[in-house]
Amino acid sequence: MNTTSHIADLFKNKYSLLSFDVAQISISREKILRGLGMQLHDADEYLLDLIEQSVSVAKEMLDAKGGYIVTDEFSINIDSHTIEIQGMMFDTHKQVTLLLKKSECLIIFACTIGDEIEKESKRQMALGNALEGYIFDLIGSEFAECVAEQIHNEIETKVAKKDLKVSNRYSPGYCNWPVSDQHKLFSVLDTANCGIKLTHSSLMMPVKSVSGLLGIGKDLRRVKYKCDICTDKNCIMRKK
Amino acid sequence: MDKNELLTKLAECVEFGKVNKAAPYPPTMKGQDGADELTKQALEIGIKPVDILNDALIFAMDKVGEKFTQKKIFVPQMLISAKAMNVAMEHLKPFFQSGEVKRKGKFIIGTVSGDLHDIGKNLVAMIVEGAGWEVIDLGVDVDAAKFIVAINENPDAVVGLSALLTTTMPNMQKIAAEIKSQFPDVKLVIGGAPVNDEFRDEIGADGYSPDPQSAVAYLNALVA
Repeated sequence: MNTTSHIADLFKNKYSLLSFDVAQISISREKILRGLGMQLHDADEYLLDLIEQSVSVAKEMLDAKGGYIVTDEFSINIDSHTIEIQGMMFDTHKQVTLLLKKSECLIIFACTIGDEIEKESKRQMALGNALEGYIFDLIGSEFAECVAEQIHNEIETKVAKKDLKVSNRYSPGYCNWPVSDQHKLFSVLDTANCGIKLTHSSLMMPVKSVSGLLGIGKDLRRVKYKCDICTDKNCIMRKK
Repeated sequence: MDKNELLTKLAECVEFGKVNKAAPYPPTMKGQDGADELTKQALEIGIKPVDILNDALIFAMDKVGEKFTQKKIFVPQMLISAKAMNVAMEHLKPFFQSGEVKRKGKFIIGTVSGDLHDIGKNLVAMIVEGAGWEVIDLGVDVDAAKFIVAINENPDAVVGLSALLTTTMPNMQKIAAEIKSQFPDVKLVIGGAPVNDEFRDEIGADGYSPDPQSAVAYLNALVA
């Protein structure tokens, strides 16, 4: 392994594959409500019951997997707003590039919750149950984010032993980072890809998957995601 | 119930999302007939399908769209209303097929390639359908070739392009250019969180709709 030595000690293998305890994966109804453009006080009992029942059904459908690689074979170019990782040039744009500039190592990760929840969402839609279908879709997205959060937390805990910190995680498709960079990201991930496949237009299959990168370093900070750094002013998930 | 009472009641069912008698929602209408039963009854007593469509269904969905735009209701209520309307529309299907009831036109809609977000697109599709248009929903991650096939099959249709990610806006631009190069007369309307009227102008689209109701207003103006 060619990783910076004090970080290398923390990661036994270049590639890590993870599985998850379903009991540890939980989401709040507030997050689902936000996806519906609502806050808790806007929701009636019918909707809250529907969300609760759907979450419980969806939990049984989870097939969560995650994987990541750690590398110090990268260079961050502030002027061109790019990051080169293992010979691949990523067009990460200004925001992501600047936020990762103090990284000593990078983690490239991917995770998925499988395709059962997505199938249930489609099944409900096909039955004409658009609300139920949409709720399953939102639950799937939140579960996938929850799995990504667990990977992030695990890495954060691991590097804290050496007084190191992690950055926030960033994904192609967001913060102006072109989604087409997914192909390069998965080529770097190699066997840690959790079986996720990419379509021609760079979308992940299963759909409820998250990929991206995060930095490790002593001068990095993981901060709460803030909507004001995002340009999508009309986003339905935007915090009021 | 006479004709007016029945149509008023049916419109209420669609507006408040009472799908059928068995449906538990909304709790205030528990045990009452829903859009399913009332549409059937309306046809049985001889109310013209066109009146059911215009005076109950389109009337109700117009109110739903307005309330959504004014943030008086949210996505769930809109989806439940759309379900009630769809159930009612099932009874009207034979009359659309026979030509006795005509729609205002056709609207092809899809989320552009590289983007899987479909709720905004679905809401627009539902409200546009509720406003009396035939909607051809191409789904998500739709490339130019798929839009072009749909336009070839429906040359008089208006086309709607949706995107949620800023990073898929270039795909919207490419698709718009491809459509306009092959079908310069096809009307193109765009929507989605990252786009605006300036971007519409930049990519040569004809309309920009920030919400479902404005999409309906744009489409209705084309056939007024």
